[in-house]
Amino acid sequence: MATGRRRLTPYLLLFPGVFWLVVFFVVPMYYMARLSLDSGTIEKGFEFSWQWSNYHDALTLYKDPFIRAFEYAGAATIIALLIGYPLAYAIAFKGGRWKNAMLVAVVAPFFTTYLIRTYAWQTILADQSPVTKALNAIGLAPGGHVLATAGAVIAGITYNFLPFMVLPIYASLERVDPRLIEAAKDLYASSRAAFVKVTLPLSAPGVVAGTLLTFIPASGDYVNAFFLGGPNNTMLGNTIQGLYLNTRDYPAAAALSFVLMAVIMVIVFVYIRFAGSEALMGEEATPV
Amino acid sequence: MLNAWVRTEGKDGRARRARGPQLMVVAVLALAASLAIAACGGGGIESSGGGKGKVETVKVSGKPSGNLTISNWPLYIDKNTVPDFEKATGVSVKYIEDVNDNQEFFGKLQPLLAKGESGGRSIFVVTDWMAQKMYDLGYLQNLDKAAIPNVEKNLVPNLRGRPIDPKDAYAVPWQSGMTGLIVRTDLAPDIKSICDLFNPKYKGKVDMLTEMRDTVPLVMKCQGVDLAKATEQDWLNAIDKIKAAADSGQIRRFTGNDYAKDLSSGDVDAVIGWSGDAIQLQADNPDIQFVMPKEGCMLWSDNMVIPVGAPNPTAAEAWMNYVYDPKNQAQITDYNYYVSPVSGVKPILQKTDPTAAKSDLIFPSKQFTAKCDAAPPLSGAEETKVTAAFNAVVTG
Amino acid sequence: MEARAAAAPTYVRRESAPRRAWAWLKKRALNIYAGFAIAYLLIPIAVIIAFSFNNPAGKYNFTWEGFTLKHWADVFSLPDLNSALVKSLEIALVATIVATIIGTLMALALVRYQFFGRRTTNFLIVIPMATPEIVMGASLLSFFLILGTPALGTTTLMIAHIMFCISFVVVVVRSRLIGFDRSLEEAAQDLGASPIQTFWRVTFPLILPGVIAGALLAFALSIDDFVVSNFNSGTTVTFPLYIFGAAQRGIPVEVNAVATILFSATLIVMGLTVIQQRRAERMSAMRPQQEGE
Repeated sequence: MATGRRRLTPYLLLFPGVFWLVVFFVVPMYYMARLSLDSGTIEKGFEFSWQWSNYHDALTLYKDPFIRAFEYAGAATIIALLIGYPLAYAIAFKGGRWKNAMLVAVVAPFFTTYLIRTYAWQTILADQSPVTKALNAIGLAPGGHVLATAGAVIAGITYNFLPFMVLPIYASLERVDPRLIEAAKDLYASSRAAFVKVTLPLSAPGVVAGTLLTFIPASGDYVNAFFLGGPNNTMLGNTIQGLYLNTRDYPAAAALSFVLMAVIMVIVFVYIRFAGSEALMGEEATPV
Repeated sequence: MLNAWVRTEGKDGRARRARGPQLMVVAVLALAASLAIAACGGGGIESSGGGKGKVETVKVSGKPSGNLTISNWPLYIDKNTVPDFEKATGVSVKYIEDVNDNQEFFGKLQPLLAKGESGGRSIFVVTDWMAQKMYDLGYLQNLDKAAIPNVEKNLVPNLRGRPIDPKDAYAVPWQSGMTGLIVRTDLAPDIKSICDLFNPKYKGKVDMLTEMRDTVPLVMKCQGVDLAKATEQDWLNAIDKIKAAADSGQIRRFTGNDYAKDLSSGDVDAVIGWSGDAIQLQADNPDIQFVMPKEGCMLWSDNMVIPVGAPNPTAAEAWMNYVYDPKNQAQITDYNYYVSPVSGVKPILQKTDPTAAKSDLIFPSKQFTAKCDAAPPLSGAEETKVTAAFNAVVTG
Repeated sequence: MEARAAAAPTYVRRESAPRRAWAWLKKRALNIYAGFAIAYLLIPIAVIIAFSFNNPAGKYNFTWEGFTLKHWADVFSLPDLNSALVKSLEIALVATIVATIIGTLMALALVRYQFFGRRTTNFLIVIPMATPEIVMGASLLSFFLILGTPALGTTTLMIAHIMFCISFVVVVVRSRLIGFDRSLEEAAQDLGASPIQTFWRVTFPLILPGVIAGALLAFALSIDDFVVSNFNSGTTVTFPLYIFGAAQRGIPVEVNAVATILFSATLIVMGLTVIQQRRAERMSAMRPQQEGE
């Protein structure tokens, strides 16, 4: 429907949005890159000087939180997948008339402020709480406390991002045509085989979306480590936040942010290449 | 609506690569836009040379009036002082408790101060070393001493002519205090020195402060360093010791004001903490006590300063004068239990709150603080290096 | 084996009770698991709500010390909390309105038109959703710092919030537009309506639920935003920033009460939207078969 005048319409419609996103999202990336190559201090002022050593210095000094961020985010993503997939499956296939209520329950945590629900875990996992005492009795709490350990941070991240895992998987499971499963069973497949060969591959796009939507924000998170962790559970996010807002060492902070973004982009592209096309075609089960 | 949400587009494998030419055009446009902005931008941190001119002196004129915004640490003032001041002078006070950490506060205000603004504040209260740092950067104003006669008259002798402000030109102490050990004497009666905090018996049951100039000098004392002669290497050695303890799990957390929570709940046995908090905590739990470490404590003072761009310096100085009247000061000290910089408070408290008047923590004797020191000064490249090393341990 | 046990009612031979119980368990296992998982999701919310009724002696709200309604009575008695809440609402309102308008326009363009640069624009919209918040916040901060203007505060917060809300609004409205029946528009035009009239009187009311959904999502994202705000707020305090600061000194019980209010309000709004959607679906089901949402 693109007649002469109409050709302009989409551009006019798009202009405010594209302008906003380019000026306030794309351009700041350039500025962050520039800041990462500055030298100087907050007192004496900063100067752009192609200081590539900022990257090297920041990465050596802060390599522990850097690695931990990906470790914790990875662990949390896997656990969220293990917890979330069955839940999504249950809602999609066994939900019945409770489906909407269950979905609301899954989304409900979002209705409370992120900080408060993380802070609530401090109460739940406090040293004297029944939960901690129970975990201690089973032996899952070395040192007698759960807070200020890696476990608490990973548990927090898993909890906070679980809905991001469940919803995409639910969405793709819901679209699975039940007749396909019936067909598989008609061909003498057991329930388990039907699941592995039919349902799982068809839900792969949802799994891919869910894991990415969980892993990416989790790797940059710092709130969970702040509330639930100790000094050797800090993540890259804590470091970046500290450098930007406390120490005001902007070049190092910008360098770290940039590396974080670069690593995530690499992981995402590799993951999509690896899991993407096969998952889309549903040819083979995605290794979970 | 749920359906709309659930169909959120994500990385569902559609790794679209935009067609080459389109991408080029957009990239060129973005680059052009940013270069344009870059060319006409700049006025921010990259062009500030941190230059400062002469330090101005506050101009006090006439009677105090109008609005006064004060930034202070939390829980540092009683409920009545502000209303009483408002009644006495007619000034309308906005008292904000947004100073949680010196560095964090400095970080927040620095972009404004560098431009000569203070975000509406006419007074804020920061610890001595930070006040000096700000003064050296030209962010503070000198005071008009004629408008603060009470300060001249009542400031205790040992806080006059301090190294950070030899001429008492810009900093008026708000309260001073001691940093030492606060211990759950019911859980860990044996902790009597800083070195005891590193005892594996208390692994994971110890907190230290994120305030570098409290934690590190105390550990240096534990290592036998004479603070008057401390070198950069001494600082770094102490930081290494702290790092080892943090890595091994000996130190549970590095905290600001929130060590009180860990102590109250018994999550930790002992912390490095501030004297006034000990008294407040004791009210809830008499087993929590301030223990003067064998090696001695750190002495510090939080100071009222007037920043550049303060909108109402006249009212600010009136406030300083007001709180240096022993009567008003007694009210404040009786609430926060820190060491008052105003002489003449003790006799007043002896009548209104004799227990407080007897406390070593509020009116420490010379003997009590015999081994206590102020934090050794750090500046320039030394400060940057030490701060970076310490922050790496605390925030990872 | 499982199938036989599940068909127990008509089966003559009685299985032993434990075996029947086990079979019942296996059949219901997934549902039971779902119950546990949902309980796990809801526990912290329950804790938050419960502790808003707590009566702690000191400043820390950790251990249950007694039931009281007094913190609910003076839920709005803390001036710092109130000004932070008001600031959050203010920013969320502006960000929602602007982002919804911009986002809806973009969604219309993307769904309705074929144009040069379409793929790139799609890409541009998806990337902010894929970027960690800390990177967005940090880069915006770098931008504002180097430019030197505007000063960090309410303005920069609004700019930042609008930025990250746009993508989400586009996605929500777009999914609504994709299932849209163009024949209604064509009918209107056949009856002589101009494109603008068609839009306002036919298209817009029909996509309104999607637009509202997008607006609600933007509002929720803005009110709850912490990371990007933390970096770009300067000395301004929003509700999440207030909590972050207060966490050091002990979060007052009133904050739990406010969080409960926000939670209930969102739950109610969501409930109303779902009910309204159900009603709309029922009404459209009564009409002759059409391609609808």
